[in-house]
Amino acid sequence: MTASVIPLLKPTRLLYVMIALPVVGILAFTTLRPIQVLPRITLAPGFSLVDQNGARLTNEDLRGRIVLYNFTYANCGGACPQTSAVMRALQNRLGEIDAGEIPVALVTISFDPERDTPERLRAYATQVGADATRWRIATGDATRLKYALGGGFNLYYAPNPDDTFTFDPLFVLVDGWGIVRAYYKTATPATDRLLRDLRLIVDEARNSAGAARYAYEAAHVFLCSPP
Amino acid sequence: MIQVHQYEKWWIGLSIAVLAVISITVGVAGFMLGVQVPVPEALVNPNTVAQSGNFSNPGVRQLAPKKYEVYVRAEANPWKFRPDKIEIPVGSTVTFYVTSADVQHGFKLEGTNINVQVLPGQVSKMTATFNQPGTYDFVCTEYCGVGHQNMFGTLTVK
Repeated sequence: MTASVIPLLKPTRLLYVMIALPVVGILAFTTLRPIQVLPRITLAPGFSLVDQNGARLTNEDLRGRIVLYNFTYANCGGACPQTSAVMRALQNRLGEIDAGEIPVALVTISFDPERDTPERLRAYATQVGADATRWRIATGDATRLKYALGGGFNLYYAPNPDDTFTFDPLFVLVDGWGIVRAYYKTATPATDRLLRDLRLIVDEARNSAGAARYAYEAAHVFLCSPP
Repeated sequence: MIQVHQYEKWWIGLSIAVLAVISITVGVAGFMLGVQVPVPEALVNPNTVAQSGNFSNPGVRQLAPKKYEVYVRAEANPWKFRPDKIEIPVGSTVTFYVTSADVQHGFKLEGTNINVQVLPGQVSKMTATFNQPGTYDFVCTEYCGVGHQNMFGTLTVK
């Protein structure tokens, strides 16, 4: 009965509507891009490290936090690519994104565990102006580091005979689920860019509850990522 | 009501079915089998790519045991891939970053699904895992000048 009362539910029209709806939805998503998300690139690796206060730091401890990683070593000086200034600039501006229930953490991982004892890392933390509640600096067993950093984060680093390291500057943004959302293969990514990306993850984590979740999933499927 | 011949109805049905099959195939390939088209990994300046950055010193780098990355610079005059000899241990996963310092080249690695255009100013990225020892040839697949036929190299897996 109802099928004949409501014109749209006549079998042939229903078929047209069923075909048209997804097509319109796909077109709307791919052209208008109503929601922007950072792509889910891959799973971040697992690790177990020791931080500047001698405390254990694992990837599981960082679940539920958005983490920006950088990689260096405490004796990095001279021609060595410096990435700590970007971390400190970001640390000073984290207040701009209200991330109350979704905290943001900064983690620097040293790939020089032989020299970077917790004391040395503490001195380095003071030197770069790290706020211990937000920014942790850690290192761990050399072999496992190679698997976690080289294998997991795709970071290239290799020791030189003169006790320095050759490495490619790299920042990695990992969300609260432990999924890599962005790589920045430069020593000087723009702080505004990092903040924008952090804000996108915070917004997604905050808004993708209930039915809105499907809109966010559609944004992932249709690759609605900012340039 | 327009009269449509029975054969024409069949043909219309067949055309719709072909479209549906193609759509489903693309969907399955993209979302379930993970088939990916090569996307530009990064932009570089082709005029300075030979002087600075990872492409100025192209070659194999180990990221972790059995995980490698290779930077390849394609060049015309002399027509050459740098490096043109690559050696990796069996079982390795290798990510190739390829760019051109001058004109358009191609990079096809036999025995894998790596076959990518190499454009000046753009870095192409492809990954393959090598579980079989042997010699894999790679060649330039775009006609890039009078020395095009000299553009080849070998990847040895042992």
